Amino acid sequence: MNSTNNTLEQLKAALSPLDAYIAADRQIAMTVNPGETMRALTFLRNEGFAQLSILTCIDWIRDNDFELVYILMNWEKGIHCQLRTRINRENPVFDTATDIFPGARYYEREVHEFFGIEFKGNEDSYKPLFLERWDSIPPLRKDFDPQAYSDSKFPMRDRDKIFKSRTGGADNE
Amino acid sequence: MVLEKKDTRNIWEKIGDYFSANSIWMKWYCTGCGAIEMPPTMTSRFDMERLGMGPMATPRQADVLLITGYLSTKTLRRVIYSYEQMNSPRYIVGFGSCTINGGIYYDSYATINQLDKYLPVDLYIAGCMPRPEAIMNGFNALIEMIKKGEANGWRHYQENYEWYKKNQLESLGEVIIKDEFHE
Repeated sequence: MNSTNNTLEQLKAALSPLDAYIAADRQIAMTVNPGETMRALTFLRNEGFAQLSILTCIDWIRDNDFELVYILMNWEKGIHCQLRTRINRENPVFDTATDIFPGARYYEREVHEFFGIEFKGNEDSYKPLFLERWDSIPPLRKDFDPQAYSDSKFPMRDRDKIFKSRTGGADNE
Repeated sequence: MVLEKKDTRNIWEKIGDYFSANSIWMKWYCTGCGAIEMPPTMTSRFDMERLGMGPMATPRQADVLLITGYLSTKTLRRVIYSYEQMNSPRYIVGFGSCTINGGIYYDSYATINQLDKYLPVDLYIAGCMPRPEAIMNGFNALIEMIKKGEANGWRHYQENYEWYKKNQLESLGEVIIKDEFHE
């Protein structure tokens, strides 16, 4: 048994996740209930997963879910842990992780800007971070149409002739 | 942009253009992947200095503004701000297909598609990205244009300021730079 397996068994016993497996070499992936997430994050931090590498989000529009992914790093064992949780897409409100990982302040701001998820307890997360004067729905949601937005804001150059590539390339000469 | 072919310069402007064409200070705005093509162009392999061109630290003292790649709306605000600080005569060179028609970012929500709607571009260098040879070639063409008095983008910007401003406001909303770290 290597240390990744040991850590996986230990986390399974302590957190009883919905799903836990070894995603890749020295990477553990776990899925927990939304209500369990803060307890799991606290437990993981106390177990040595002291660095929050990133907090990001996935829009599962067919399941009507947002999946939040916390990627944590354990510097003593050299293991990453992805902690995943799914929240409802209709009313995306979640708790802040800034009490556990203060560095989550900016990640939550980014997720709020690009997916529209509100993080209760993080006042900063309502401020814009990258997009200035954004005037549409959050752009990384799957129901946002970047082509239509680009056409409405940044018109294409008028062309006399539209060149199309021929299939086959050099064989077609 | 319609450039006038007829040479209406007086003798002093011709002399001024001759000298400014042979000593060009440039400011390049490293917005995209084109920034990485500039070090080989500047250093010993291709050696831009032999054309009399050199890098300048601030836009206030530069003659040429190089836009090296795609421009997000956030960056375009800073570019317009930098361009309006420059002294006339001032020239803009657009690098690569992203400044011409959006390139591979044609459907992006964050990047503009056509630079010459917002700023007067004197010369485009095509490519994705243009190699240093193409950049040197483009600089030679720019020097010839300045000598002949054809690089009149800055004058076009002054004369058609309302048109440029309208396009800027349509795409950007406002050209005010907010910097939360200094608030």
